[in-house]
Amino acid sequence: MTDTLERKSLTREQLLAAYRTMRAIREFEERVHREFATGEIPGFVHLYAGEEASAAGICLSLDERDTIASTHRGHGHCIAKGVDVGEMMAEIYGRRTGSCHGKGGSMHIADLSRGMLGANGIVGGGPPLICGTALAAKLKGTGGVSVAFFGDGGSNQGTTLESMNLACVWNLPAIFVAENNGYAESTASSWSVASDNIADRAAGFGMPGVIVDGFDFFAVHEAASEAIARARQGGGPTLLEMKFTRYFGHFEGDPQTYRADEVARARAELDCLTRFAARVTETGELAQADLDAVDAEVATVIDKAVAGAKAAPLPTEADLLTDVYVRY
Amino acid sequence: MGDAVVGVMANPLSGRDIRRLVTQASVFPTAEKASMIQRMLTAFQAVGVSRVLLSTDLGGISAAVYRAIGQRRSQGVAWPEVEFLDGQPIRQSAQDTVDAVRRMVAAGARVVVCLGGDGTARVAASVIGDAAMLPLSTGTNNAFPVVREATVAGLAAGLVATGAVPAADATSRAKVLEVRAGGRVEIALVDVAVSTERHVGTRAVWDPATLTQLFCAFAEPDAIGLSSILGQLAPTDRRERRGVLARIAPGAPRQVLAPIAPGLVAQVGVTQVELMRPGAVYPVDAGAGVIAVDGERELTFGPGDRPTVRLRTDGPRCVDVPAVLAASARLGLLRRA
Repeated sequence: MTDTLERKSLTREQLLAAYRTMRAIREFEERVHREFATGEIPGFVHLYAGEEASAAGICLSLDERDTIASTHRGHGHCIAKGVDVGEMMAEIYGRRTGSCHGKGGSMHIADLSRGMLGANGIVGGGPPLICGTALAAKLKGTGGVSVAFFGDGGSNQGTTLESMNLACVWNLPAIFVAENNGYAESTASSWSVASDNIADRAAGFGMPGVIVDGFDFFAVHEAASEAIARARQGGGPTLLEMKFTRYFGHFEGDPQTYRADEVARARAELDCLTRFAARVTETGELAQADLDAVDAEVATVIDKAVAGAKAAPLPTEADLLTDVYVRY
Repeated sequence: MGDAVVGVMANPLSGRDIRRLVTQASVFPTAEKASMIQRMLTAFQAVGVSRVLLSTDLGGISAAVYRAIGQRRSQGVAWPEVEFLDGQPIRQSAQDTVDAVRRMVAAGARVVVCLGGDGTARVAASVIGDAAMLPLSTGTNNAFPVVREATVAGLAAGLVATGAVPAADATSRAKVLEVRAGGRVEIALVDVAVSTERHVGTRAVWDPATLTQLFCAFAEPDAIGLSSILGQLAPTDRRERRGVLARIAPGAPRQVLAPIAPGLVAQVGVTQVELMRPGAVYPVDAGAGVIAVDGERELTFGPGDRPTVRLRTDGPRCVDVPAVLAASARLGLLRRA
């Protein structure tokens, strides 16, 4: 079993880091939501607002040995894994100073130096990648773990199920995180996921499957830290299913005719940031002033990122032929 | 006597929490919960239950039963009329259990069968009133619900609902622990544990080092869960008009090995074991922390909340399956010649 002392009472620094991550994701996504409406951002964006506790709760227990793979809804995972917010915004705007030099956009933000294997436009594209990095960590004995984030739609993809099977037969230090927000684009998961609970599929592969309230940072962090500790100690993979709601549409511009007004209730009663703030101020672990200071700092960072992105140069013709091959 | 109405409340989320990961707690497939309900419907039909009220869920249980009813109808084989309690929002939380049981009781259910673990039974007990409860084990900790084959449980529930077995032979009142903290009230059917954890988090309790106090309505030596700690030191039966409490500390002189969760036998230090008298109010010592009811963290408290625990003997009426079927044998209720 894990060294439970590690999990006991998060320190002040950890709580502030967790809040900062969630606040940064929320403000980033709300800002992109507003900026996208101006028509200046090329391509599509898929916003993570509402789901912050998942990325923050899981990535808090990861370090430089660990890798994550994300989805088309990747901004939250990028921020939680430490990708530079300015470079992210520039990438979304398609500028030369972006994480991928403006060539990938929102769905392909990556930073291998941070263990962020990338947001991914291919549904179910992440799980096979993390089997590779998990195998590398196991063979090199780094103690590192690899986390695949995927959605309820992604949970039905052959690549995801194959990856779970492989991770189990090879006993890889892999964590599969199913972020079940109830919809694969506009298809309800209650209609399309045969097991209804994605976590129930884990038993078929012989690994533990746990359902977690995705709006509750503390529940996510507890479950994630146990799964990560287990993987580090050679205990093998785990499937965590987050249940929550995304606040915006599948993509920006989505008329959302497929769902009723569950977002209003979620924002009012279930919101991860509101609940986190209420809990930590009630226990006295943090003061409201601490949280306000983080809010102000994050607002400045996001403003700077947007201003920087808008002012940054676009890629040139000469850039078309660079970044095509990798030098080993 | 009126229609014999039975309610069936099935929790789709029982047996899905972190104990699948930190211990080797069993996974109870949704398909099996749906099959159990179908086995009960067959039993209800056999003993004359006319109407069954079934909770609805997004976990696939009621959907599977609905499909089975359709298939059965086309085969011409009879089950009682099943009414799906639909129309209210499904929150995927304990509120769904509360709403469903309330509706069943209001609709005249004489017995409510609850498929779940301690948590499900606890929540149902808070709103079941005078209707009889039959908690059937499909959860993680099953200190309270019975592990019993669903067909037999169905026969027992049906015989009670139709009035064929007199109430005196059929049910017994469970004890309840009432926790009050800062204006909130919660009940527990088995145990109340005080934890140094700060947050509810994943709810489950699996680290004895975080416990400081334990109150048990009953403590059976062969139980699973926190009550097994006192089950080894001061066994207390479900029928006795007393409970038992103790202080928990890692370095205490008395150490006991207890199966506090499925797959987890922990060494726990125990001091100051005392009897709990019904009605007496016992204070919680700690100034802050989380109180777990029936093995799930539920109530956070801080300075000024001053939580207390009280043992009551007016808990839910629970169907005693062996007693019902023994009475049935005595009275010849299932004899047909």
